Amino acid sequence: MSHMTNPLATVEQLYGRSTLNALPQDLQDTIFLSMQSLTQAAGLLLRLPQSVTAQANVVLARYWVTISWPFPDEFSDISAASLFLVAKLSSHPAAPRDLCNVYAYLLSPLSPLFRPSSGPSLPSKPEKTLYYLSEASYNEAYARVLALESRILCALSFDTHVALPHGLAVTYLKALDFLGVSPSARLAQRVVAYLNTALLSPQLLYLTHQPSALAVAAIYNAAKDLDAKMPECAWWEVFDIDREELGFLVVGMRSVEGAVRAGREEASAELREGNMVTRAGIETEMRKRGMVLGNGATTAGGGGAAAQLTEEDILMRSLDERTDQMDS
Amino acid sequence: MASKSRWADTEEDAELEAKLKREKEEKKRLKAEKARKAAEEEQKRIASKAQQAAAAEQQAQQEQGRLLNEPPTKRRRLTPDRDDDRTTEKGKGKDDGSSSTGESSAKLLRFEAPTWKPTASVENYDKLNDIEEGTYGWVARARDLRTGKVVALKRLKLDEATGGGIATTATTSRVGLPETGLREIQILKDCSHRNIVGLHEVVINDAAATHPNRKEPIEAVFLVLEFVEHDLKSILEDMAEPFLASEVKTLLRQLGEGVAYLHAHWILHRDLKTSNLLLNNRGQLKIADFGMARYVGDPAPPKLTQLVVTLWYRAPELLLGAPTYDAAVDLWSVGCIFGELLAREPLLQGRNEVDALSKIFELCGVPTEETWPDFRRLPNARSLRLPSAANAPAAVTASMIRAKFPLLTAAGCQLLNSLLSLDPRNRPSAADMLRHEYFTQDPKPKHEAMFPTFPSKAGQERRRRKETPNAPGRGQKAPASVDFSGIFAGREREERGGGFSLRMI
Repeated sequence: MSHMTNPLATVEQLYGRSTLNALPQDLQDTIFLSMQSLTQAAGLLLRLPQSVTAQANVVLARYWVTISWPFPDEFSDISAASLFLVAKLSSHPAAPRDLCNVYAYLLSPLSPLFRPSSGPSLPSKPEKTLYYLSEASYNEAYARVLALESRILCALSFDTHVALPHGLAVTYLKALDFLGVSPSARLAQRVVAYLNTALLSPQLLYLTHQPSALAVAAIYNAAKDLDAKMPECAWWEVFDIDREELGFLVVGMRSVEGAVRAGREEASAELREGNMVTRAGIETEMRKRGMVLGNGATTAGGGGAAAQLTEEDILMRSLDERTDQMDS
Repeated sequence: MASKSRWADTEEDAELEAKLKREKEEKKRLKAEKARKAAEEEQKRIASKAQQAAAAEQQAQQEQGRLLNEPPTKRRRLTPDRDDDRTTEKGKGKDDGSSSTGESSAKLLRFEAPTWKPTASVENYDKLNDIEEGTYGWVARARDLRTGKVVALKRLKLDEATGGGIATTATTSRVGLPETGLREIQILKDCSHRNIVGLHEVVINDAAATHPNRKEPIEAVFLVLEFVEHDLKSILEDMAEPFLASEVKTLLRQLGEGVAYLHAHWILHRDLKTSNLLLNNRGQLKIADFGMARYVGDPAPPKLTQLVVTLWYRAPELLLGAPTYDAAVDLWSVGCIFGELLAREPLLQGRNEVDALSKIFELCGVPTEETWPDFRRLPNARSLRLPSAANAPAAVTASMIRAKFPLLTAAGCQLLNSLLSLDPRNRPSAADMLRHEYFTQDPKPKHEAMFPTFPSKAGQERRRRKETPNAPGRGQKAPASVDFSGIFAGREREERGGGFSLRMI
């Protein structure tokens, strides 16, 4: 049974993430989206099978609900560590040097990943020095990945099991007799596309629903998109999904695209300037919004960065207040 | 949570409820918006299709439409006010209500979903005694301070250098947590079978557990396993009498059931041996130590490591360097264990790979083109010089198992022979093995509850030894004179009591 089921996030975990977190929801979503896209891109460049990368996405999401701002790690490192961990346990391990190289490239200004389509185009002769990783910085990066790897394992109590819905979806399609007819290739493709897109969902669909439910919802969506003729009964109940759950997932999966688009346009301009979101970027953004930063950081640990900030922070806040007063 | 007062709790609860409600409403709103859009499209489509659609199809479309059309407030179908929903629906739709009753009558399978929480500290356990410290790390008996239960704590080796070439400097000499240990944890977590040792939880050293956000490295990882009193190896070494035929059957059947479970779940153990088989005082055998185990697919993935299974239990295809292998390597080990249970000592004690292979050929016969067709193509077989099949005497190619175990029944012999087939394709699967007539013939497998018990080494129990005199050794000198005069001496001086009398009342 363990091949078909996943551990799910508890209500407390989901609730804690949305309320006790010092980060506003939209920033959380932006960070999560860019971390997940970064993981996918790195998986592609490392030539890992999508099954490995998708599992890394799920592990990352599970870790994400257990931590709250402020935490000491760079977002890209969290992505790298979860990919490294999952790949290590699969039959396609990623060599540490390859991993660090790929992330160095993806985080360099030359990476096309987060470049807004309207932004400046790539220079015709890319500067290789921009993403060259020296031995020293490689060692540093790798040490960070290892430290995070063990932190991720601790947070998940060493459970790295991820069941993906992709295989189930193919079985379901076969059961529905959707494989083998000519437009079915497009249908199956669409189903897989929905499942992969759902990995990015800020609603954390993979943490709230079992793979069977995700598979059914993806088939439902794909069939709707392509006007495929579905059975004329509550066919989803055959796969043990009730209508309410299906309805929620159908909407959830369809909303990801919009969320990604909105997130990209909104965030790309200010937060990252065509690059991956960083801690520093988030901190400046928080300051811009006049939010208290690093509150309670001394007790929660992660101390160094937060402690450094406090003085600067107080100054900034007083300045903000003064400008506010002048405005009014 | 526990440290806070009740008041704080309730306040928080209320807050949580309110928050959840808000979230739900937000979701509802979002869904309603989406649903409205989708429904509009749907309606257009239906309208264009018009009335000529068959009644059945219409109904189905309504069903689909309903899914998107239904106002969000009426989404909760499983709540008591569902009846009201249906009555209002009946007003607008024909027999929507009846279809929904048919729908809801379906019983849906629900999966029990576990969750994840931060790893706990090893300080919750009180160490009682070391069980062993050997090749595969440190194991101790410990008591869970919360429940008082006795468990086995197994410490994972962390500084295992896996693979070469990666480690260049001191800072990166570690490759992180070893994947073997992580795989063992994952596999044990996924397994639940009476013949496989149970994993309660995983704990880490205190500093790392209590300050997860500080950059405390994990120094130690412990597996909290169910405590099992014995391992088969030390029982076999210590026992005065070999296992009875019925007891061997019970043990072998339990081993087969465990292995069959593993293979059915796509797990290769890859290190089956008697010291990895545990036995509790209720006669239950449990497979332990999954440090070599891993998930495989069918066909098995390429690039499986060749360096698996302890030498004495290693299958010939591994010794010959086969590039791929499958579940049959575990069955070879089962065969070796079967032989060991009968003989009370390991069957094939090779000193090195070459010796191991020659011992195998001694016992099972030299492979020929008939008994193992393309074994010549295996990487290490090229250097092998064997007597050619044509002029080799039959005794060289024939199996010696029958002669080695004269007390074994014909069925048992046949089973052992098939488990120790040189050609992996000839070995039975674990499930096949369990169906072998050996297990149904007399003597029947002994019931587990009837199994003899042994003093537990791990539990620090000792056999009560009765000192028995040895036979006089040859060449020993007989004592010159023994004084027997003391035997009945002083009898007369003993006080005489009333003596024994029968009371007659």
